[in-house]
Amino acid sequence: MPWLTSTVRVSPNVRRAQLVCLAVILCLGELCPGQGLKVPASVTAGDETIIPTTGSGKAIFYLWGPGVSSKSEISLGQEVHLHSRDLRNAGDYLAIVCSAVCRSSAFYVRAGKPAYLNFLVHPSRVPVAQGDAVSGVVLPFDEFHNLVPDVATVNFRLAAGSSSAGSPRAQMQDGVAWFRTTSGRSAGKLQVVATLDSLSSTRIVQQVASDPCNLRIKGERTPKSVVVETEPVHDCSGNPVPDGTIVTFSVTGAGGKSTVDAPIKQGIASAKIQASGSLVISAASGTVMGNELHVGGQP
Amino acid sequence: MKRQELAHTDCGEIAKTLLLVAVLLVTATSLGADDSSVQVQLDTRKTGPRAVENQTEQAIRRDYGFAWASLAKALEFNTIDPLQGSFVGTAMKRLTDTVASQRSAGLSSRYGRQSHNLQAVFYAPEGDVIELHDTAEFQLQVMDGGKVVHEEHAVRHYVVLMTPGADHWIIRQLQAVSQF
Repeated sequence: MPWLTSTVRVSPNVRRAQLVCLAVILCLGELCPGQGLKVPASVTAGDETIIPTTGSGKAIFYLWGPGVSSKSEISLGQEVHLHSRDLRNAGDYLAIVCSAVCRSSAFYVRAGKPAYLNFLVHPSRVPVAQGDAVSGVVLPFDEFHNLVPDVATVNFRLAAGSSSAGSPRAQMQDGVAWFRTTSGRSAGKLQVVATLDSLSSTRIVQQVASDPCNLRIKGERTPKSVVVETEPVHDCSGNPVPDGTIVTFSVTGAGGKSTVDAPIKQGIASAKIQASGSLVISAASGTVMGNELHVGGQP
Repeated sequence: MKRQELAHTDCGEIAKTLLLVAVLLVTATSLGADDSSVQVQLDTRKTGPRAVENQTEQAIRRDYGFAWASLAKALEFNTIDPLQGSFVGTAMKRLTDTVASQRSAGLSSRYGRQSHNLQAVFYAPEGDVIELHDTAEFQLQVMDGGKVVHEEHAVRHYVVLMTPGADHWIIRQLQAVSQF
């Protein structure tokens, strides 16, 4: 701005007038869009607020934000009343007033207090005693479905039946709380509860027996066959393996090798093997091998 | 006299050169800077507890950029069709409401020259939700009919929740915040 620093002597009043003129020119050129609109620094979702205006005469007021666009005629110099229904969605808003020129200001609506928890727990069904097998994520939302990103603490509690199965430490990260933990040792329902102040959310994980452990078989020869059955099948934590789990019996004899699949019924799997002569019978379920049974030939 | 002529010639040449450079710059800018283009960068280095695989990172970057291009189309032409498939839940509801209210008020908005700098801050243990922080820059115009009532080079911060769909990532929450 060379005319302001020129060596021509001008009085302070003239210089002040020049500055004012420059400001007016800049404003008319819409280089100072916030002038004349004083918006709130921040509003909580669902609150009402007012925006005072300056000047006189009629103007058009626009509110533009997430989920909201409105246009109305206002009288300059009066307050613009923003209703709570217009400010439910957290995010950035623009208040725009147009008369001869348009002026605008931006403000933010922030999320309110948490009103519910979105609680994701995985998996819905899990074998017992598996490391890091159960995980949960909590996302807090306010009553208008805005994510509340500045939550400090969420507590988690796990319970199997009437006994506590632990309180895994909540990991907070950018408003998200999560945990990961080992599944319990008993088959049955695992109740997982997330708590934030007075809010809580519960999920159920069904814990089921893990793979069979110490699979043992016994057999009895009949005139034309061998009846073989397992002892009650349990996992390594002592939980009965669910009915329907397949046990495979392998038979090796003079005629070669053959296999028979049998489902567990009431904790026991059994099979009738048509064979004569000496036999070696073994059993397996999943990746677990049982004992070998040596059966002599029929005299 | 000759020196003056020479000086005039030099000035003329310089002016021509400057004019040519200016024309070239304007042409290059108008050809190179597609208003509808969306640039997306994604940083997954600080993501946890689950690591973001390379293929997942590429898919998120692609789908996030596509979603914003769709958002821009929807809000410029006041139609929800482009939003289908990229947004669900709260994000979809709010954009649908924006389109409806813009249409009702005779407004439209334009997001030009978008640039999104994403940081993945949380990736769930089972990979079923990812939280992103987006520092977005764009040329924002709000229009009443054909009249521009607001224009700015906007810098906004968004907290974003995306979940995996059958074959692409979908935005569930898109919420501007004053700062991260």
